[in-house]
Amino acid sequence: MAEIRKVPEYCYQCVAGPDLFKVVVKDGVAVGIEPNCDFAGIHPANGRVCVKAYGLIQKTYNPYRVRKPMRRTNPRKGKDEDPGWVEISWDEALDLIAEKLRAIREKGLLDEEGYPRLAVTVGSGGISPAYMGALPAFFASWGPIDFGIGSGQGVKCYHSEHLYGEFWHRAFIVVPDTPRCKYVISFGNNTDAGGGVLGVWRHAEARVNNHLKRVQFEPHLSVTAAHAEWVPIKPKTDAAVLFAMIHVVLHEHNWEEVCDLPFLKHMTNSPYLVGPNGYFMRDPETRKPLMWDEKEGRARPFDDGVEEPALTGTYRVRGIEIGPDDTVWEHEEAECQPAFQKLIDHVAPYTPEWAEEISDVPAETIRRVTREFLENACVGETIEIEGETYPYRPVAIILGKTVTNGWGGYECCWARTVLATLVGALEVPGGTIGTTVRLNRPGSDRTLSVRPGPDGFMDQPLNPTDRKNWKAHPGIRNAYRTLVPLANNSPWSPALGPAHLPWLFMKNPPPNWPRPTVPDVWIIYRTNPVISHWDSDTIAELLKGFPFIVAFAYTPDETNWFADVLLPEATDIESYQLYRIGGTKYQEQFWKHMGVALRQPAVEPPVDARDLTWIAKELCKRIGLYDKFIEALNKGRGTTFPLKSEYYDYTLSPDEDPSVEEIWDRVCRAATMNLSKGKEEHGLDWFKEKGAFFVPFPEKKWFLHTYMVEKGLRYELPYQERIMRAGAELANRLHEHGITWWDVQLEEYQPMPKWKDFPDIWARIAEVFNKRPEDYNLWLVTTRSMQYSWGSNAGIPLLADVAENVLGHFGVSINRRTAERLGIKDGDWIWIESPVRRVRGRAVLREGIHPEVVLTVQQFGHWVTPVAREFHVPNLNQLAPLHLALTDATGSGADVVRVRIYKAEPPRDGHDGEGFGETVVSLDDLKQEGNGHGEATVPADDLKVKV
Amino acid sequence: MARWAMVIDLRKCVGCQTCTIACKIENAVPPDVFWRRVVDTEIGEYPHVQRLFLPMACMHCSDPPCLEVCPTTATYRREDGIVDINYDLCIGCGYCVVACPYLARTLIEENTPYFGEEAGYIPPEQAVYDQNRTGVCTKCTFCLPRIDEGLQKGLQPGVDLDATPMCVASCIGNAMHFGDLDDPNSNVSRLIRENYTVRLMEEMGLDPAVYYIVDGGEMVEQEQHQYSQALSEA
Repeated sequence: MAEIRKVPEYCYQCVAGPDLFKVVVKDGVAVGIEPNCDFAGIHPANGRVCVKAYGLIQKTYNPYRVRKPMRRTNPRKGKDEDPGWVEISWDEALDLIAEKLRAIREKGLLDEEGYPRLAVTVGSGGISPAYMGALPAFFASWGPIDFGIGSGQGVKCYHSEHLYGEFWHRAFIVVPDTPRCKYVISFGNNTDAGGGVLGVWRHAEARVNNHLKRVQFEPHLSVTAAHAEWVPIKPKTDAAVLFAMIHVVLHEHNWEEVCDLPFLKHMTNSPYLVGPNGYFMRDPETRKPLMWDEKEGRARPFDDGVEEPALTGTYRVRGIEIGPDDTVWEHEEAECQPAFQKLIDHVAPYTPEWAEEISDVPAETIRRVTREFLENACVGETIEIEGETYPYRPVAIILGKTVTNGWGGYECCWARTVLATLVGALEVPGGTIGTTVRLNRPGSDRTLSVRPGPDGFMDQPLNPTDRKNWKAHPGIRNAYRTLVPLANNSPWSPALGPAHLPWLFMKNPPPNWPRPTVPDVWIIYRTNPVISHWDSDTIAELLKGFPFIVAFAYTPDETNWFADVLLPEATDIESYQLYRIGGTKYQEQFWKHMGVALRQPAVEPPVDARDLTWIAKELCKRIGLYDKFIEALNKGRGTTFPLKSEYYDYTLSPDEDPSVEEIWDRVCRAATMNLSKGKEEHGLDWFKEKGAFFVPFPEKKWFLHTYMVEKGLRYELPYQERIMRAGAELANRLHEHGITWWDVQLEEYQPMPKWKDFPDIWARIAEVFNKRPEDYNLWLVTTRSMQYSWGSNAGIPLLADVAENVLGHFGVSINRRTAERLGIKDGDWIWIESPVRRVRGRAVLREGIHPEVVLTVQQFGHWVTPVAREFHVPNLNQLAPLHLALTDATGSGADVVRVRIYKAEPPRDGHDGEGFGETVVSLDDLKQEGNGHGEATVPADDLKVKV
Repeated sequence: MARWAMVIDLRKCVGCQTCTIACKIENAVPPDVFWRRVVDTEIGEYPHVQRLFLPMACMHCSDPPCLEVCPTTATYRREDGIVDINYDLCIGCGYCVVACPYLARTLIEENTPYFGEEAGYIPPEQAVYDQNRTGVCTKCTFCLPRIDEGLQKGLQPGVDLDATPMCVASCIGNAMHFGDLDDPNSNVSRLIRENYTVRLMEEMGLDPAVYYIVDGGEMVEQEQHQYSQALSEA
């Protein structure tokens, strides 16, 4: 009789987790994956996990795994240079790495240009921390590390949403309050592919049980659009439609009837008076922003108990404006208008007919969708939850990745959030709400970061832009503290800076800027930038110059091809970690419980892989950082639970050498005592059997509303005075240092954004490469697949097997009429050509795609990774130029490329072999001309967008 | 005796293929063979297009044409309605593959390793691949071993995970349900009673045991046509 064990684990292979499951182990071999029904009543999707979790069996037993630590023997690096891997022992590997790290400590942690000599890049969005064990405690014990050399993530993410979302409503990610929502308008948000188990479950339930209607504006008919009204739209024109929707509310409806006036008057900056210079008119004595009191007929400070502040009109007021760098304009009597009046005037030109011309969305559709949005908003209604009464506004607008990043991202995020405020549907039941925080603290509960800040708004520390405190030296190579005030300076901030700039600037440093150096040692984990970063060729070229790369390596891949040491780590179901679960978290993780779950070795690794906690500990011993490592563990660095509090003391001593199990046993005890406030203590053995520990999490914490009301705070909308001031100060600082290459980005700091011809920015990039924009007449965009999104699982054949069932998954989707015009048939090989490169793919003819759009799924194009190298699927990154002109002010870009397509001969042997496609403009040309890599042939100024 | 049946709510299915992969692991189904999968297709012309997801597997018909054509009586129907194949009797002739209007059956010539012949079988494949299942026809069994073993343990199929087909147990849209048609109080009986359901190719009179919940009213006729079209494309 076979021995069957079922081992509880968590799955966090996508950012929409963690979720819970069990590994079925038969006679010591992992053979199955099951939902964990032990927590069916607690997990909001009854303990289910998605398709990715079922890939973990093959992930564990992948015969192509790195079997032992490996050392490179070929000193030359390049895609044509075989690394010449030889197996070495763990001692040899760790000694070799420790020697390099000790050398850094002897030379100094910063190099001659002031950048950290050690850089670390972790991939897969925000999921790596759930698999790194206590490795972060090693990083914490080291000192300055450059965490900002990007792999594509961090600049391709929901970037403007992250930065502005947290700024406005503590919403690193924005979602509907799905269970109570009635009407969702989505611009490209692909919930059913990227929203995780809870996203799918909640939307399915709401769709059927609550009659939730969804309208999906998207260039192609995604899996999510299948259950929505699909409205095709041209890429990067979403802001036009959103602006037109605001226009319809304010100019075509009686806004006083359809808007939530109390919300606008008392919970936003709509009534704040704006002076002649565009800054808030303030009381000269208290410096507080003024509102016009309609009852008393005079201006009064915002917190003076004004019951009926004016939203419209023009008033003559005495006051001051405070501009950048403490500039003060004193007005004896100046014409002022409420911010809301400014908004009305601002959107006056943005009619539905204007938006139709830009976006291809019929004006009448924009009007109808706006009307339905207003009809469903239930302005004035309330709902009771847990005994408290809330406004009930069951409408939400959500945005997709490529809508919220790159140029136009700010405009879309602003317009979406303004629409929510117009009907009072921000952070209330049914409405548009945030999930979690990453730039504010604490990360485990976003409501705790609702603290009073200046001018009646929430506190949000921006990176300083004043002359005294601005960081002229970028600190790390992506310069998030220097260039991006909104990125803040949390542990997550380096990953949310312009994480592609290090590559761009290493290739071609911009003027008046510390030369971005190559790090002495680069450690990488679950990341493959040679595949996942724009302009893959350039990344591969640059990696040749990295002197020492340490890769935690599951299998060989395109980036660790350039490494010097490979370390096989014990993966998902082979190693220990306790991780936070529940509460509110992206994407649609809204629980009525919060707690911790364990990841544990269900089976022994079939290769000589080690637990990352062990690796971290052994490295620290070898480089003389063991004391600091123990101190970091005691502080809870990486584990998030300090080992000492008012309720307990499980601290470790540097004199001890705890095993991995002992370390996690203490974390388990600390976590349970912490969560239960000293009432329950459970160690590792308990967790190995039970899997997770929970305490209640009140639904009140899903919404900021009560916290904002309790603290008397307002949302900093619709008028962006603070942003405008920060931008003006940043401009001053950069210009004082002779830096003008960021000037286009500085234009984004507007109090209310105007439409710019965003699509034209991507079209005109062709000119940089001496090509004609009109020759690239199609848009190439990407879409997520649930099978692969964030999973670092391209090498698992079972996932490919089932993904073949997803429409167009491994091909290039093209509108049938467009293909017919070009003589392309279903299944034909085609070239996709951008101004820099061309790659081959197989045509999939579809009806559900805009005629000017072609689509690829995920990011493939592998040429080393076993299994994935057989896919022969083109990757947008191979075609996407890496260029400053495509970088917005928050430091992000978008996965869109202007291309043309035409029939191709089938590749030799059925595939391209190298996976890199063909270069249309050679790298040597680019090097000589210096374009494409920081300094354009057409200077950035000439690429200024039309306003 | 029970009549096991499945109810699939197409309003909730998102085509994620979690049921597909869960089935493959549970039943050790080799590469490129699917005992079940979600058909993902489009209907209509741009811009009036609809994307449809249609989970497809053996329908466990009351009057299965696959059974009629089987020359060796390998295909048989249990009292509880589950249509199964006795691999000892199956000669792999493929008549049933042709006879099944739902394309639910596949001949397995050999259990090929997922990572290729060179890499060979990985340990879980060695542990679970059924070597009796080569040269024979295979298909969905409603996870018969789970049901039988579950019942022996006193569990209730469709309610308890360990007694429920893995596709249903794994569904992340809560779209799939399993239970006893003969029990008027079962979840499937209730769902059929309370919702508009269709069965595929009902006109053939096979009495399939898989019901699909679709939006009711005037949409039904149109959707039925669309599902038939989707099926023929599959």
